[in-house]
Amino acid sequence: MLSPGRARPTPDAAENAVFRGRALPWLFLLPSLLILAVFIYLPALQTLRLAAYRANVILGTEQFVGLANFADLLSSPAYQQVALQTLVFTVLTVTFGLLLSLGLAWLASRPVRGAGAYRLLLIYPYALSPAIAGTLWLFLFNPEIGLINQLLGELFGVRPRWLDTPSLAFGLVTLAAIWKGLAYNIVFYLASIQNLPGDVMEAAEIDGATPAQVFWRVAFPLLSPITFFLVFTNIIAALFDSFALTDILTRGGPYTGHAGATTFLVYQLYQDGFVNFKTGVAAAQAALMLALVAFVTWMQFRLGERRVHYGS
Amino acid sequence: MNRILLTAALLGLTNVSLASAQTTVEFWHSFGDAKRSGWIQARADEYNKTHSGVKVVPSYKGSYNDSLQATILAARQGKAPALVQIFEVGSQLALDSGAFQPVSSVKNVDFSDYIKPVINYYTIGGKVNSLPFNSSSPVLYFNQDLMKKAGLNPKQPPTTYGGLIKACEKIEAAKLDTTCFGMSLNGWFIEQWMAQQGAPLLNNGNGRQGRATATNLDSQAAKNIFSFFKTMQERKYYTYTGKLEDWDGSDAIFTNQKTVFHITSTADIGNIRDAAKKAGFSVGVGVMPIPDGSKRNGVVIGGASLWISKGVSKPQAEGALDFALYMTNTQNMAEWHKLTGYYPVRQSSIDLLRKQGWFTQTPLQLVAFNQLTRTVPSPATAGGLNGAAIQTRKIMEEGVQKVLGGQNVDAALKETKARADAALAEYNANFK
Repeated sequence: MLSPGRARPTPDAAENAVFRGRALPWLFLLPSLLILAVFIYLPALQTLRLAAYRANVILGTEQFVGLANFADLLSSPAYQQVALQTLVFTVLTVTFGLLLSLGLAWLASRPVRGAGAYRLLLIYPYALSPAIAGTLWLFLFNPEIGLINQLLGELFGVRPRWLDTPSLAFGLVTLAAIWKGLAYNIVFYLASIQNLPGDVMEAAEIDGATPAQVFWRVAFPLLSPITFFLVFTNIIAALFDSFALTDILTRGGPYTGHAGATTFLVYQLYQDGFVNFKTGVAAAQAALMLALVAFVTWMQFRLGERRVHYGS
Repeated sequence: MNRILLTAALLGLTNVSLASAQTTVEFWHSFGDAKRSGWIQARADEYNKTHSGVKVVPSYKGSYNDSLQATILAARQGKAPALVQIFEVGSQLALDSGAFQPVSSVKNVDFSDYIKPVINYYTIGGKVNSLPFNSSSPVLYFNQDLMKKAGLNPKQPPTTYGGLIKACEKIEAAKLDTTCFGMSLNGWFIEQWMAQQGAPLLNNGNGRQGRATATNLDSQAAKNIFSFFKTMQERKYYTYTGKLEDWDGSDAIFTNQKTVFHITSTADIGNIRDAAKKAGFSVGVGVMPIPDGSKRNGVVIGGASLWISKGVSKPQAEGALDFALYMTNTQNMAEWHKLTGYYPVRQSSIDLLRKQGWFTQTPLQLVAFNQLTRTVPSPATAGGLNGAAIQTRKIMEEGVQKVLGGQNVDAALKETKARADAALAEYNANFK
């Protein structure tokens, strides 16, 4: 990588600013590496080690069990159900979250009176912490005294039990997650839409393209880099940031089948690791999630090179 | 080399001088609100003023779970806080962690003044492990106005499941646009109903003679409880927010007059009374309704107690205990009760309150006290101990939730027992 031969001061090397010697670049990297080592690499290695033990952080006990934690998890109907729920939840929030925010951003970027106010209102939920958002939804959807059921009861005479009907609770958490993610996505889409080349769009309109055609044939492909970026940030958000929302809104419940209907991978990990103190099992789950994230990242790089139109 | 020696000497000296000047007692608790943490701080300030050799430093360390974990990690690094507040379900876990010492071995304390069911919970293997502090138990709350509207006598609230169901029938007939009964779905209540029937929740003397290896969820006592929920659900007499352990949500349903009867902790008497006043109805308090035909054995204490770390110096441990005893003395516990609604844990505090006329001012509290003091001592009412109690509590809630979702009682109980027993086995496997 950095051979001493290249360090000789030739005009070419001077322009490319190659470091002299082997030690110097490492010296500059040292602070970052140290921080990464202490806060990322060592804990990650420690997690992988713990995954092979039956451990309890309170008792301080550790027994080597090999791959048993992984085998138990992967064969447990509860964990399988949680993984499936996470998959469905992720697909739903990412797909509908992005479609909805693209549509809203497109509408808000039209030249209409008060567009600034629309944009502000669309973006503000981003400023809410997930905990506040969860509490808000909890009040709204309280089956007896929540605003939603008061309205539904008055208008249609129905009072759905939002938090303990499995399908409703799942839908509610998904909806809340989509709503919570909207603002973030809209900010990115708004910025990209405002940066779309006006001449291309105008040319399409002059050629007689309908508004729908302008959107789907011209704007949408031009937005693919940002869509691509958002797909992956949204997947990661669905996998990890769903935690606070589920904790406050449903506590992972209602219990149905073998697990809570809104218990997702990260919430299961939290329950096992920090509520039930089953440290080894939680570490194994963390390792599985690490593999999942590695896979998602790999997909991102692989697909990014092939399918996304970055313009010329 | 010289420099190192010098530094070491200096460090040693400062340590010695600090130790002789003042003993610092760290006290970690889980009260984040100004009312309760302020009260604790005020007691520490008083204590520090009168005890020049000791400095008590209370600090809020997050939820009971977080604070327990923080204590253990600090203890591993030799920096354990001397005094820690630990919730009752964490008792076995705290005991097994080996990070604490029994209070009774720090100094000889006369525990005879403590209310029996309270001290019994924290007495394990003949030793008092921790000092009772904030203690509560569940009671029945009822909306007197709605009861009258339904033709029920608020002076005679239901005391059994059957009585409650009869009252529910009248409420249904009166068409009040409310549900009869609501409470947060919480394993704590299931534990209470087991104790009320004199049935231990766990084997091996409720986990007090040896490590619990199985739950008694296949007993008739457990079946009575689950069947009660089945009936209430089928006849639409029960409602809750749908979220497990949602204390606030269930309180809100009751204080918004959407339920007539409600069960929750005595620690909420103050809050509920205030909310009811605001909503314009008068609230009553009664004993927890129990299964029909069962003798009333009483309640298990809930809340938290004060533990003393093992890895601290003798003066620190003694300072911690001395402060804990000061904070929970007769006068202070009576004040604590008035402020928060938690029981005063001492008999002498109850006598003091009676002398002050507290019970004639606040008759609601009297029922709660009688329910506690009339508790029949037994392993069942001492409360079940197990290291996976946080998990088994949730498993029981989920079992009831399945019944409410339509599953039959026997199947739900069978599954609940299997899962709870597996959790016990998993925990016990740590000691092989």
